[in-house]
Amino acid sequence: MKKNLQWKVVLTLAVVVGAILLAYPYTQKKIKLGLDLKGGIHLAVQVLTDDALNIETDQEIARFQELLKKNDVAFQSITRERPGRFVMTGYDSDKEGKIREIMDDYARDWDYSFGGERAVFSLKQPAVIFLRDQAVTQTVETIRNRIDQYGVAEPLIQRQGSERIIVELPGIDDPDRVKDLIKVTAVLEWKLVKAGPAPDEATLLQATGGQVPEDAEVVKGDPKRGHSGYYLLSKVATVTGGDLRTVRRSQDEWNNPAVAFTLNSEGGARFEKTTGENIGKQIAIVLDGRVQSAPVVNARIDRNQGGIIEGGFSLEEADDLVVVLKAGALPAGIRYLEDRTIGPSLGADSVRQGIMAGLVAIVAVMAFMIFFYKLSGVNAVLALILNVVILFGALAYFKATLTLPGIAGVILSVGMAVDANVLIFERIKEELALGKSVINSIVQGFSRAFSAIFDSNLTTIISAVFLFQFGTGPIKGYAVTLIIGLVANMFTAVFVSHLIFDLTVRKTAKRLSV
Amino acid sequence: MQLFKTPHIPFLKYKYIALGASVLIVAAGIVNVMAGRGLKPGVDFGGGTLLRVKFKAPMEAGEIRRVLKDAGLDNSVIQETGSKDGREFQVRTAQTVKTADEQQEMEAHERLADRIIEALRSAAGEAAPLPDRSDLNTMGARALTSLLAVAYPERAEDLAQKIVALRTQTGIFANFEAVKAAGVGDDVVRYLEGKTSLGSLTVLSRETVGPQVGKDLRNKATKATIWALIGMLVYIAVRFKLAYGVAAIFTLAQDVLISLSLYSFTNRELNLPIIAAVLTIVGYSINDTIVIFDRVRENQKILRREPLESIMNTSLNQTLSRTLITSGTVFLTLLALYLFGGEVINDFAFIMLIGTIEGIYSTVFMSCPVVLFWYKLFAPKKGLKK
Repeated sequence: MKKNLQWKVVLTLAVVVGAILLAYPYTQKKIKLGLDLKGGIHLAVQVLTDDALNIETDQEIARFQELLKKNDVAFQSITRERPGRFVMTGYDSDKEGKIREIMDDYARDWDYSFGGERAVFSLKQPAVIFLRDQAVTQTVETIRNRIDQYGVAEPLIQRQGSERIIVELPGIDDPDRVKDLIKVTAVLEWKLVKAGPAPDEATLLQATGGQVPEDAEVVKGDPKRGHSGYYLLSKVATVTGGDLRTVRRSQDEWNNPAVAFTLNSEGGARFEKTTGENIGKQIAIVLDGRVQSAPVVNARIDRNQGGIIEGGFSLEEADDLVVVLKAGALPAGIRYLEDRTIGPSLGADSVRQGIMAGLVAIVAVMAFMIFFYKLSGVNAVLALILNVVILFGALAYFKATLTLPGIAGVILSVGMAVDANVLIFERIKEELALGKSVINSIVQGFSRAFSAIFDSNLTTIISAVFLFQFGTGPIKGYAVTLIIGLVANMFTAVFVSHLIFDLTVRKTAKRLSV
Repeated sequence: MQLFKTPHIPFLKYKYIALGASVLIVAAGIVNVMAGRGLKPGVDFGGGTLLRVKFKAPMEAGEIRRVLKDAGLDNSVIQETGSKDGREFQVRTAQTVKTADEQQEMEAHERLADRIIEALRSAAGEAAPLPDRSDLNTMGARALTSLLAVAYPERAEDLAQKIVALRTQTGIFANFEAVKAAGVGDDVVRYLEGKTSLGSLTVLSRETVGPQVGKDLRNKATKATIWALIGMLVYIAVRFKLAYGVAAIFTLAQDVLISLSLYSFTNRELNLPIIAAVLTIVGYSINDTIVIFDRVRENQKILRREPLESIMNTSLNQTLSRTLITSGTVFLTLLALYLFGGEVINDFAFIMLIGTIEGIYSTVFMSCPVVLFWYKLFAPKKGLKK
């Protein structure tokens, strides 16, 4: 064997062995399957950061009112006009200086302007940006906590741009449950019941003359919990989800699933005081603005005792409530912008069909090549097999994700891979027809066909690169397999195939099976 | 072995016919699209929901349509998929739910999909799911585990895994008898029979894309197309002389236009994979053009006295067999993908098949004539007389 043949053989064997080691034994860890093959959820989530600004604005209004009271500044009304902006009316214009003083001392994040009867207060831009950004960051954290609590293998939770979050959860077999788990805001509050439940708002407000008292609000019952009525609740919560110390799934006295909680010392103290003062009254447990249950306070509840939340939960609902309460509330509401749920059985079907199509394609191409090019065809088939092996080795090496379009890419690259062999063999035939020797024709065939092969692979790679750049998950998978397949093709169809000829065709050969 | 002896087909004689045919197809395609009949934006671009469901028992497509119509959902497009045994269907919701607020639009889409699933359940004769029983056809492994843990505390997780694995394979349990194939023992199946119900359908997939993301995806697809075409143009500019470059661009444009025109006459929608397919067609089809132009260049050195037109004709004939074989192998693989690859990838395989055939046509009939036209337009008069 010639020296330069020796290193070519070594190189080829090294690549083959390397690729096999990378790709085999085939495991899910080595070549990751995309959501479309494994089943799972892909969500694009919009964080409604206005909510965070509204909360900040409302808090500021409350604080501001207190300060005005302390400083004896009278006013008619203060209302939130939009997120990060509130308006005060009916104040004495002599007090403008005092109001300025209060704002400068206590609310440096707020701009203010006075125009006759109206004073407008707006949150400064840097603060707005900070609050919005923080809301998104916290939402990412909260969603991640919830998913971790629930237990999902390899979740991807990623911020995208300023207000979007991408959530990808592979291998989910109960998508609706998980989607609810993510979306629920999970603001939990305990509030004293002033009246209710009543079948409608008018009946509820009869006692108060049709007016909602200033310190109260109307809250609907949660139909899921079997409460369809209306409640009049005190505006101020006794304790909230933020006061929780522990939560776990438990049972009520009839062995129905419920959620048990204990409170931190501050919340516990408030709870003890409130229950002590309101024995015989109802206290409502409100989740995301819906009354879950409104038990009657039978006795003062000790600060360390805690309690249970009941409401006819199913086992799963109780579990999920524990998860969201542990992970905490979302700082702002969210909305889904894109929701793709692929069930595991459709993914499994796709894999089966993809493998089937792939096998048929590869066998058909091989049969054609051997039928048409005889022994040279066998050469091409060897190169093709190697091409596929390298392709899977490279996919494993780059930790690429195999998607359904990705499988299409593999199949397509099989069809394109033999193009190079075809160009070479056709060229060799022409050289032979011109009366050149076998060995010469082979050399000429490879060298003359090379530029066309290079060009063809390159043009297809150009398209694939931009598809990768701008594509979404599945399309990226397609672009990756196509690119790898075509690059590997340059090695197998040109280098390895040539080597096989060098090794098998004698220098003095008079005929070539092509 | 040879496909055929080098033929002597006067391809360039047919250039006007070919040009006419191309113009006709593209014009028809444009009219078709303008009339709103072709290239409807799919879920990826248009917003809306694509549902795939599998029923427990075979259903009639007509019956499903009737039920959806009764529920006021008659804009939905129903299609039977899978092994065509009347159990798998694809439902595409009405394409647009227009509301003032884009975010509400997404929620409207989701609600619409919920209503369709409800309607389909009732079509399958399921009045309402039994309130206190979980649906074994949709419940997750986790919920199943906690249900089984009551009776089989030791083996609950293992049993649940086995049952869910079987369900993943079959899609849906037609009856409790079918659950036995999971190898969990008859007593477990009997226990489940008492504790769960078998819902009449399972949702295989559900994809909703709201208007904002739809817009993003349109944007990305446009960018990918523009950049890929620019890349191709740069490549062509480097690779070819001007006249040949113009011809290459012309065939490239024709590849895009004809593939999409023909595609527009099918009922298939425009989605991201279709864009990927068209760009692949462009990248692939240009290969044969390169092979032919290379051959023309080579022959120009050998056959100096021949006029360009006859050199081109010779070159086309010489390269014809390899054009057919290379495209043929790709066609073969795509055919396998089209026939066996399943519903999800079917549109992609279909337009690629069109594109591969169209690529042969554009290479053989269109690439060389454009070069000739160009020279006729711009070459010095002297050169022509010769």
